[in-house]
Amino acid sequence: MRGVQATALLRDAVREAAARWVFWGFYGLSTALILFFLFLLRIDVIEGARATVTLFGETSPRALPVTRLVRQFQGGVASFLYVAGMGLALFASAGLMASTFEAGRIEWLLSKPVSRAGILLCRYAGNVLVVALNVCYLVFGVWLILGWKTGVWDAGFLAAAATTIFMFMVLLSVVTLAATLTGSSALATMVAFALMVLSPILAQHRLMVKLLDSEFWRDVWRALYYLLPKVYEVGRINMLLIRDRAVESWMPVWSSALFGVAVLAAAVIAFSRRDY
Amino acid sequence: MDGDPAIETAGLTRVYRKRWRGGEIRAVDSVTLTVARGTSFGLLGPNGAGKTTFVKMLLGIVRPTAGSAKLLGMDCRRPEARLSVGYLPENHRLPSYWTGAGLLDFAGALSGMDPRSRQRRIAELLELVGLSEWADVRLARYSKGMLQRLGLAQALMHGPALLLLDEPTDGVDPVGRQQIRGILRELEQRGVTVFLNSHLLSEVELSCREVAIMHRGRIVLAGRVKDLTAGQGYRMTAAQVSERLFDELRRRAATAAMQDGLAEFLFPSREELNRAVDLVRAHGGWLESVNRTTSTLEEVFMRTVRSEAAGQN
Repeated sequence: MRGVQATALLRDAVREAAARWVFWGFYGLSTALILFFLFLLRIDVIEGARATVTLFGETSPRALPVTRLVRQFQGGVASFLYVAGMGLALFASAGLMASTFEAGRIEWLLSKPVSRAGILLCRYAGNVLVVALNVCYLVFGVWLILGWKTGVWDAGFLAAAATTIFMFMVLLSVVTLAATLTGSSALATMVAFALMVLSPILAQHRLMVKLLDSEFWRDVWRALYYLLPKVYEVGRINMLLIRDRAVESWMPVWSSALFGVAVLAAAVIAFSRRDY
Repeated sequence: MDGDPAIETAGLTRVYRKRWRGGEIRAVDSVTLTVARGTSFGLLGPNGAGKTTFVKMLLGIVRPTAGSAKLLGMDCRRPEARLSVGYLPENHRLPSYWTGAGLLDFAGALSGMDPRSRQRRIAELLELVGLSEWADVRLARYSKGMLQRLGLAQALMHGPALLLLDEPTDGVDPVGRQQIRGILRELEQRGVTVFLNSHLLSEVELSCREVAIMHRGRIVLAGRVKDLTAGQGYRMTAAQVSERLFDELRRRAATAAMQDGLAEFLFPSREELNRAVDLVRAHGGWLESVNRTTSTLEEVFMRTVRSEAAGQN
């Protein structure tokens, strides 16, 4: 596939996101959060070590070390972004992926001299681009405001953008596969949300291995744990990075990445074999 | 590659298997067809004959169960085979968030055109299909006929050598239809192969030089429109025809009728006509008119489909 074709497909995905107000919805939400930190939150730093916080005109009675305070705010934003933001992004992206396969539209796209893999991967990349732009806007915006207000320029928070985009990419591959197989945005969203919900349960694998008395079910639990994306544990890694603590294992990241690549490859194969 | 036919299929077949009830449907059944370059070709058939499935297989949208197809000499499964092909799908849903100009730009980019060529071509095509004033309006506001004309424009965007049109005049008003026919004629004169897939017989008769009739997935008749509709018989009308002469001529004619003192006969061959003319003159009758009759494409189509249906039942 040539560059001009890839660019056109990416532009089409962004254009549809904008037309469906998805892009502007994310942008508006991110802007609201940035404005919240800019105007409503007042942090008084005394001698660079301790602070009081005024929010909606109310002053917190507790004085905290300023670095800890900033990291708490950053952790809050990162958690919101990782759970609620990603949920919204998946919900919106499922519609954008499924619309590609609408009758009357897919035939037209497939009649162009572009490979099926190219069409699907560019659509996927276009969705990632829309979400990534907004995530970076929010994270970088909050980081700048908190840094400007407190003088704490903690680069760990910037990793929140990377981890959120990474996990979105993994879950979007599931949405892509489900949308390719069924053309249903609702089902695609449900599958992705199910993985998000399952993740903290499967993460208790050490405890469950002790509790389960059947070796078969222990193996099933372990297999599911290692196979499926580790949304919960990557989220914890996210928080460790923000708090500037050491990450013990990167296994949740690379195993989730492997899962995403495998599922995306399956989606490309399924799309290449389907008749429309 | 220039010497290759525009479309060449060999035993192209598509079988759909019924998932739960078993059995299969042969949507397209061993179709071997060659469409020469530079011609206008119409594929006719009743609804469900397999026309759209056939076109979709040519474009790689549906995979054949058996057989092969080439577009402009290239295996139709390869995306490059579609580089010089323009397609207007039936019941298309062009993305409504694009403007007219935006959609043409998108279509041109997908066909690998550079931005400068796209800009030049967009203005030309919008002018050609009468949508210049709608260039910056979103497709959501376009009427069915306008969308169809824009659909034709996007198919022409990259200057294709082969144009596949599935029901192109669907939803278009008579003026728009005439405009589309004019565009297709001009394209044919410029050497573009036009493949028209339609159930509108008059549309095909007016636009195409060659046709094939598809019935239950098979090509049951193919040829030049001129040949298929010509040579059906000779019509003679005469006055002053006595009852005895009328009975004599009726025995020789395929059909005979008497109305307002004029007798009208249809003879299957030139020989029969000449014998009839001699008889009329010998019996003191007056010839009013003699002409060769042709059948319409619709008559050819109905005859073919009926005889096929009777043969299969």
